[in-house]
Amino acid sequence: MPYPHTTPAWRRYLRLIRSPIARDVDDELRFHFQSRIEELTALGAAPGDARRRAEEEFGDINQVRSDLMSIDHRVAAQRHRREDFSDTLADVRYAFRSLRRSPGLAAGVILLLALGIGANAAMFTFLDTVFLRMPAGVVDPGGIRRLWRYHQFSTEAQFWPGFSYAQYDAVRTALGDRARTALYTAPWKVKIGLGESSGEAQFVKAEAGFFALTGARAEIGRLYDSTEDRLDGPQRVAVVSHDYWRRALNGDRSAIGKPIVIAGSRYTVIGVMREPFVGVDLDAADIWIPLAFEAEGRRENGPWWKSPNINGFQILVRPAPTANDAQLEQRMTAVLRRPDFGWYSDTLSVARFGSIVRAAGPGKQEQEVQIGIRLAGVALIVLLIACANVVNLLLGRAVQRQREIAVRLALGISRSRLVRLLFAETSLLALAASGAALLVAYLAGNLLRRLLLPEVHWASSPLDGRVVGFALGVAVVAAIIAGLIPALQSARADVNDVLKSRSSGGGREGSRVRSTLLVSQAALSALLLCGAGLFVRSLSNVRHIDIGFDTQRIITATVSYDDHARSSDSTFPARLGELASRISTIPGVRHVALSSARPMYSISWLTFFTETDSSRRGFSPTWTAVSSGYFDASGVRLLRGEDFPKTRGGPHAVVVNDAMAKLAWPGRPAIGACMRFGKRTEPCYRVIGVVENSRERSVIEDASPMYYLPLNDLPPEARGWTANYVMLSTDPRSAASVVGSVRGLIRQAFPGGIPSIVRLSDYLEPEYRPWRLGATLFSAFGLLALVVAVVGIYSTTSYSVQQRVQEFAVRIALGARLADVVQLVVAEGTRVVAIGVVLGVGLAIVAGKLVASLLYGISPSDPATALGVAAILFVAGIAAAMFPAWRAARVDPAATLKTD
Amino acid sequence: MATDSLDLLQGTLDVLVLRALSWGPMHGYAVARFINRGSDGTFKVLDGALYTSLHRMEERGWIESEWGNSETGKRAKFYRLTTVGRRAVRSETTNWNDYVAAVARVLAATPEPAR
Repeated sequence: MPYPHTTPAWRRYLRLIRSPIARDVDDELRFHFQSRIEELTALGAAPGDARRRAEEEFGDINQVRSDLMSIDHRVAAQRHRREDFSDTLADVRYAFRSLRRSPGLAAGVILLLALGIGANAAMFTFLDTVFLRMPAGVVDPGGIRRLWRYHQFSTEAQFWPGFSYAQYDAVRTALGDRARTALYTAPWKVKIGLGESSGEAQFVKAEAGFFALTGARAEIGRLYDSTEDRLDGPQRVAVVSHDYWRRALNGDRSAIGKPIVIAGSRYTVIGVMREPFVGVDLDAADIWIPLAFEAEGRRENGPWWKSPNINGFQILVRPAPTANDAQLEQRMTAVLRRPDFGWYSDTLSVARFGSIVRAAGPGKQEQEVQIGIRLAGVALIVLLIACANVVNLLLGRAVQRQREIAVRLALGISRSRLVRLLFAETSLLALAASGAALLVAYLAGNLLRRLLLPEVHWASSPLDGRVVGFALGVAVVAAIIAGLIPALQSARADVNDVLKSRSSGGGREGSRVRSTLLVSQAALSALLLCGAGLFVRSLSNVRHIDIGFDTQRIITATVSYDDHARSSDSTFPARLGELASRISTIPGVRHVALSSARPMYSISWLTFFTETDSSRRGFSPTWTAVSSGYFDASGVRLLRGEDFPKTRGGPHAVVVNDAMAKLAWPGRPAIGACMRFGKRTEPCYRVIGVVENSRERSVIEDASPMYYLPLNDLPPEARGWTANYVMLSTDPRSAASVVGSVRGLIRQAFPGGIPSIVRLSDYLEPEYRPWRLGATLFSAFGLLALVVAVVGIYSTTSYSVQQRVQEFAVRIALGARLADVVQLVVAEGTRVVAIGVVLGVGLAIVAGKLVASLLYGISPSDPATALGVAAILFVAGIAAAMFPAWRAARVDPAATLKTD
Repeated sequence: MATDSLDLLQGTLDVLVLRALSWGPMHGYAVARFINRGSDGTFKVLDGALYTSLHRMEERGWIESEWGNSETGKRAKFYRLTTVGRRAVRSETTNWNDYVAAVARVLAATPEPAR
């Protein structure tokens, strides 16, 4: 192969001498004057005259000299650039040619890097959209803060961004003119239109001031103002996003002024938001309506804006340029500790500003996002493994080419040029890989979004300039890491040694680097497999949690109307009761009961007193209104006492769960104890039964105190609560047919109503998602790592077998048996795996702390998982070494020894 | 010196230098001799301007230079036309001839009667 053209050496040397340009110019001019003076002298002029005349003819010597020098400097720079470019071009051409001769290697390297880089780019996209990207279309988003408060919840203390209107009002007053504020609710999915075939959209309820604070503007029509956004009488007006307008309203300008039905109520579209504003949350908003509609349909005593129960509002603050964040936080903390905020008051409350990007705030991350962060680390490890493997492949190639390189060195190529040449090869590979990686990133980015945050309504594509930049950046770094080691190693080779030695064997140093790389690959694979094992076992543990309810058997059914008035109809509960008795006749239905709330949805509290307790209680139990037979239907077992009687008229009764019995009446029997609701003077409700604990909100939580009141005998404090759900239990096998029959019955009994029939197991499925996700993704990455590592062991072992063919031939000729040779080769592969496993498991125990909070019922240093991983890797390692070992044992000694 | 007169001079000089080099590689002094002898003293070119022209055209890529030995055995810088330069000789010469012919036509013309 011809070696690429380079610049003649003398030009390179000329460049090195100090200012050759000045010397050249002077030489040239000196020659001119000498020639002219000689000519004039020859014509008979006196030497002095001749010189004077020559200078006159020339003009301003100093000016010309400096002109020439500056021109020549430019010429030299031009030439320099051109030479560099042509050298680089030659390098690339050479690299391309030499890669085309080994397409397998090129494909392998590109695939490995594409997977590694693609996985990282996808993770980067995910983290970028969740944590880094500011909401689009917001004016100076960096100047807006999201307000959080530290609060002691029933389960734990944490930062939370939800506030009641009263708290907002107090905060706003405390801030005064030191900051501008706005209140809104986070985007929420809502039904648009009427009937069962209606659409969905993400809607936000916001103060008119929300638009001014964020700088949102109308593209068509207008935004609502404070006269339409009154707390006591909001106008039914709606603003839609540009995207929603185009998507659902066909981009029709005449949509302005037309009605839109949101959650069963009719609103008028008054404006289309200017692109690209879609709110300030990760979840893109489609529709904005005035704030006060948040209270619609809520039963409150007194004005809603005084109620502590409506408390899901988010507060945005834009501090004045002169304001000090810490001082503002202190002021707000002081007002939040005021005692008049109902049961939300808290003497330990702390107000804290966070970024407008909610995920970056001080609050707890969603579990899926936490998994995402860990996965980013995992993706990085996969890239490291891929790089290690690529280095190994390239090293193998470099060793094969040692003779070729030695010849080049002997012919006079400089070592730095050689490194550049080899580096061009890896860069070319990395570039191709980053192209492939972008494809991987796009597919994986979409997949990750769907898996990690499926509810989020994404506003932007997963790929953008930053991701492309990221992929290219990673590719360059990967090229440097993966290309430099082999390049440096081959450039260091001693020409004489290589050319003199007859074999084309790799140096001892090369094989040391390669086995180090193999060990680290095995170690990293062990680490990832340990992680996968822990997540898989967590998932299985979570699946086996007894949540109290019989998830496989329970079905809940209810009816809703587009028109609010009809579901708040006073005859509704009675008709629901009739429906329940009809449902009980469906074959396959075992138990039927009524309740005020769906299981794990009882987010309601009442003020109550027992004989002994003071007003400050360390626990706040939730309650549910149920009919007789509820415990049979739900599968929540009665531990002591009895269920509510079927008929009313007996003494007032209440049923509590075990956790409540222990907290409220410690050391005493709960049965027979008295609870009074609302006031101390109210009649006594006697505890008639204690049931097992069931989950209050999520699958994983400590047992929470709960109690149940009979639907047909509710205390005045609980007025307004009625039966909303029919709950039935059925044989899981006949569940599908039962759902169909129930739907038919509802259509008969509630014409115009929209049935909603949910199996508890389906309803709970999202609860298991984070664990399933962790298990799936960690396993996928773990397997990928394992495959890559096995391929590495295999290729390295085959390579070393190939190198040592003569040695094996001699051994066999001297009487080594097949088993001896196989053992010899396999032992080497196993040694690498053994060291790797020990290191990897050690790493896993250390790194386990990072994922401990995402695991359930298993310690990060679980010995069974570590042993399992070790076993898997050993088997895989031995299998990978077995094939080359077999080949080594089948060497024909006579043929091999004769060839050399 | 005013800029536009320099430009005119420079352009003219370039044509002359290119023409000189079209006879073969020459060093700067030979180019000067060629031009001064050819003009027969009709106009005087400063030798300094000539060297500036040579270096500028090298920058433009019309000519390239190399050190060599002169007739008298001294080290001298020789200039040679490049492929681009040879093309430039043709087009610059044509331009110059067109220019001269146009000037000549104007000088020979009589005014047309105004309508």
